[in-house]
Amino acid sequence: MSSSSIRAGTSSRILWLTVPSLVWFAVFSVGPLVAMFVIATLKWKGLLYEPTYIGLGNVTKVFGDPTFHAAVRNSLIQVAIAIPVMIPLAFMLGYHLNTKPRGYRILSVFYFSPGLISISMTGMIFYGVLSPNGGVNGLLSAVGLDSAATAWLADPATALPALIAIDLWRGVGWTAVLFAARLASLDGEVIEAAQMDGAGRFRTMWRIAFPMVKDYVRTLTMLQFLWTLFTSAALVLLLTKGGPGTSSTTLSYLVYAKAFSQRDLGYSQVVGVVLLLVGIAGMFLIRALFRTRKSRTPKEDTR
Amino acid sequence: MKWRKGGPLATVLSWVYVLILAAPLYYLVVSALKTNIEIFTRPFSLPAKWLWENFGTAWETARLGRALLNSVLVSGVAIVLTLLLAIPAAYALARTDNRLSKLITGTFSAGFLIPPFAALIPTVVLAIQTGLFGTREFQMLFLPASALPLSVLLLVQFMLTVPSSLVESASMEGAGHWLLLTRVYVPIAMPGVVSVAILQLLTFWNEYLFALTITGTAPDVRTVQVALPTLVSDATNLGVLAAGTVLTVLPVYVAYSLLNRRMQEALTAGAVKG
Repeated sequence: MSSSSIRAGTSSRILWLTVPSLVWFAVFSVGPLVAMFVIATLKWKGLLYEPTYIGLGNVTKVFGDPTFHAAVRNSLIQVAIAIPVMIPLAFMLGYHLNTKPRGYRILSVFYFSPGLISISMTGMIFYGVLSPNGGVNGLLSAVGLDSAATAWLADPATALPALIAIDLWRGVGWTAVLFAARLASLDGEVIEAAQMDGAGRFRTMWRIAFPMVKDYVRTLTMLQFLWTLFTSAALVLLLTKGGPGTSSTTLSYLVYAKAFSQRDLGYSQVVGVVLLLVGIAGMFLIRALFRTRKSRTPKEDTR
Repeated sequence: MKWRKGGPLATVLSWVYVLILAAPLYYLVVSALKTNIEIFTRPFSLPAKWLWENFGTAWETARLGRALLNSVLVSGVAIVLTLLLAIPAAYALARTDNRLSKLITGTFSAGFLIPPFAALIPTVVLAIQTGLFGTREFQMLFLPASALPLSVLLLVQFMLTVPSSLVESASMEGAGHWLLLTRVYVPIAMPGVVSVAILQLLTFWNEYLFALTITGTAPDVRTVQVALPTLVSDATNLGVLAAGTVLTVLPVYVAYSLLNRRMQEALTAGAVKG
């Protein structure tokens, strides 16, 4: 409000200052995104060849390909497990962190630390941990469970679950720290009043605190959903290359693999478009889910 | 005491998760000082003989020195460029409130949601067409673009806190946009500038897929994120790999221990502005 007078007094000529960043954004972000739709209509065998236009030819090819079906299934499994586990756990841990329990500084340093480690470093850490001679199997044999040991990343039954476990390993704590930061900014009086009224811990957390930060939970759910869906390519590339067979091929990895190892750019970009559409659909779904729950909650915040 | 402390269950679970987080990191550090055989036979015990030469081997095999230098160079140039582009834009958006400025803010808000990965392949095509494929220069130009939406939005928030009285009196004394920006807005929004710089530096430092596919794996240009996975082979020396990972993660942890609170603020700010 205080800024309205200076804002109104400024002519919009000053908006020329935004032009460099808009141009930059258009050239390197919007342009490539639009180009994706064009490449999806081309027959293009690798970056050094001349492309030819084939219209929807790639689409038919992609939708008839069992590998694509496997990728859709794997991606859906990945987000359908990772997100519903990650968000409630992170919220509860974040809530706990915000009550400043004993040792909370140590807790928050640990929860925070996967956020510092890049995806390629995470990949290398778990390459060691999950390799046949690695930490998990070593631990299993130390407690006499040799029979449960397996080549986690080379076994079709465990490759995808292992990748999901890594998503959770890095995502839960980091998201918890974000929730804690948000909860810390809340008005404590409401919480205090609820506790005076004799509301239990669990009830206070879910019935009072949760509705107060619901918009934020929704935003983080969307972001984690998008990150999980889109960025799985790097971890898959580093750890399983989509295998064995297609057991850990996700949509995002398929985009990468078709372009760089199997040299079919049109195919790759059709999958890219599908990925984008799945992302948008998922965002609408998350939004709808949070809306219905909201109407059932008696003490909602007005927003 | 406003918030009641959690019960014993919450306490136990929160520490179990710490254990889950810490176990792979502990395993990484002890493995860095062992041979492959010892890693397998005594996975979680301290090394019998501390094999410091793993670090030297990793450093030389993956040419980490050169890679670290490349990472510093790419991240450094990219962050300067990001700030040069984002600060004037944020200043303009903080000082205008009309349909056009709302449209621009809306564009950046939408852009923030789109993960850069979505356009990976067309970006590679762009790099080839501009003749910058296989160079560090493309990353220096590209990374700021991916960072702009969030950077601009965050900086606008900070610049809106500049008191109007201050701007009025400065304008009355004849200060133009340049003076207002450099003498009033940037100093007051400094915490925001620092937050954005930390947040994006970490993002740039950690970027992997674009660096891999565009800059590539040539030892003289590759970044540290790309160099490290080259230690994986059919007969990976897990000790050397672990040592290389420790060396690569270390700079980030050192930065974190020095700027603990600031860094946490910066990174949470990044996600809070959704």
